[in-house]
Amino acid sequence: MEDQITKLERIRDIMMLHGIELITAVAVLIIGILVAKWINRVLKRSLSRLTANATVVSIVCNTIFVLMLVAVVLVSAVQAGLQVRPIVRLFVLFSLITVGVIVVFRPFLPSLPFKVGNTVKIGDLLGKIEATTFLNTRLRTFDGKTFFVPNRQILNDIVINYHFSENRRIKINVGVRYDQDLMKAKQVLESIMIEDPRVIAKPAPVVYVLNLTNNCVELGGRCWVDNMKYWVTKCDLLEKTKYRFDNEGIAIAFPQLDVNYYNKSDSLVCTDQNRLQGHGGSFKSTIEEDRMG
Amino acid sequence: MKISEGLKVIEKGWIIKPKGYRVKYQKRINSELITEYSPDLEDKPLDSDVVAWRYAWKLYMATKSDSPEISDGELINIFVVDDSDNPVKYYTTNQLEVFNLREINV
Repeated sequence: MEDQITKLERIRDIMMLHGIELITAVAVLIIGILVAKWINRVLKRSLSRLTANATVVSIVCNTIFVLMLVAVVLVSAVQAGLQVRPIVRLFVLFSLITVGVIVVFRPFLPSLPFKVGNTVKIGDLLGKIEATTFLNTRLRTFDGKTFFVPNRQILNDIVINYHFSENRRIKINVGVRYDQDLMKAKQVLESIMIEDPRVIAKPAPVVYVLNLTNNCVELGGRCWVDNMKYWVTKCDLLEKTKYRFDNEGIAIAFPQLDVNYYNKSDSLVCTDQNRLQGHGGSFKSTIEEDRMG
Repeated sequence: MKISEGLKVIEKGWIIKPKGYRVKYQKRINSELITEYSPDLEDKPLDSDVVAWRYAWKLYMATKSDSPEISDGELINIFVVDDSDNPVKYYTTNQLEVFNLREINV
């Protein structure tokens, strides 16, 4: 009991001697942290308007925030009556050790294969990286869902980073009916790609005959575009291909199956519509399979 | 002629690749017809003729009126031009097209 009373008396004496300094120091610390947070928020908002690079904004804001916190702690320590020089020395020593450890061990640390703002595919998830922390990564899919993916899962999974390479190849595959002008179809498809300003000149767009299938001659248009414009350009090129083929009178093929019946008495085997029309004894039925078929 | 020279000939003679597209239109201001572009000539043009034509059509739908007179705010003679101010063919018809055609000076 006496010990406790002695302790309380000692605290009272300390508070009598340094109470105002300590309270001021705590107040400076709390107010300083709040002000630093507010400045950080305003700065982040302002910089986000100036630049679209989220990584730069994050680095600048975090650095300024840490410096402001250090300043607040120093001012608070001075208010509490502590010597500034030892604290500064301690801080410098701590900073140097941290930087040294990061520099030495960085090659051995697993790093995520993307940055904030990149469009990536992690497993089955396709979306934009919004933020990364030590534990997880926040990814927003294009239909508006936000996923928090554990970093250890990302490091163990296959990741496609669409920002890693500057350009990306577009595939425009079109099936043309066998009775169509193949050369004209190739030229039209190539023109569509060449004329688009988003399609880059080198490597130049090309059109291949990919396959001679049961239903069509399959043409494959290949061109390169900026990664950022891939999706919209592909959709535009497909739309333009449909319209241009229609305007040029080139029929796009669809899956179909021709079934020819003929009378046994008729010795002539008919294989196409024109020939069938010339022989009343035979008739033709065309079954159009749906695309699922 | 080397292949590289041939490719240059093709590039210069055949490949016409506009740098961008704008919607060109006219509107009446103080009983005077003014020609404007969207985006403005100082701004970056649209990089897709598909987008530009859709934009032109939406401008037409948003400002059209049934009256024979050109009303205030109505945009007339709306079409798409490239960076050299040449009219661009409408990609669906492959023909030159003008939405809300009212004047001949297109």
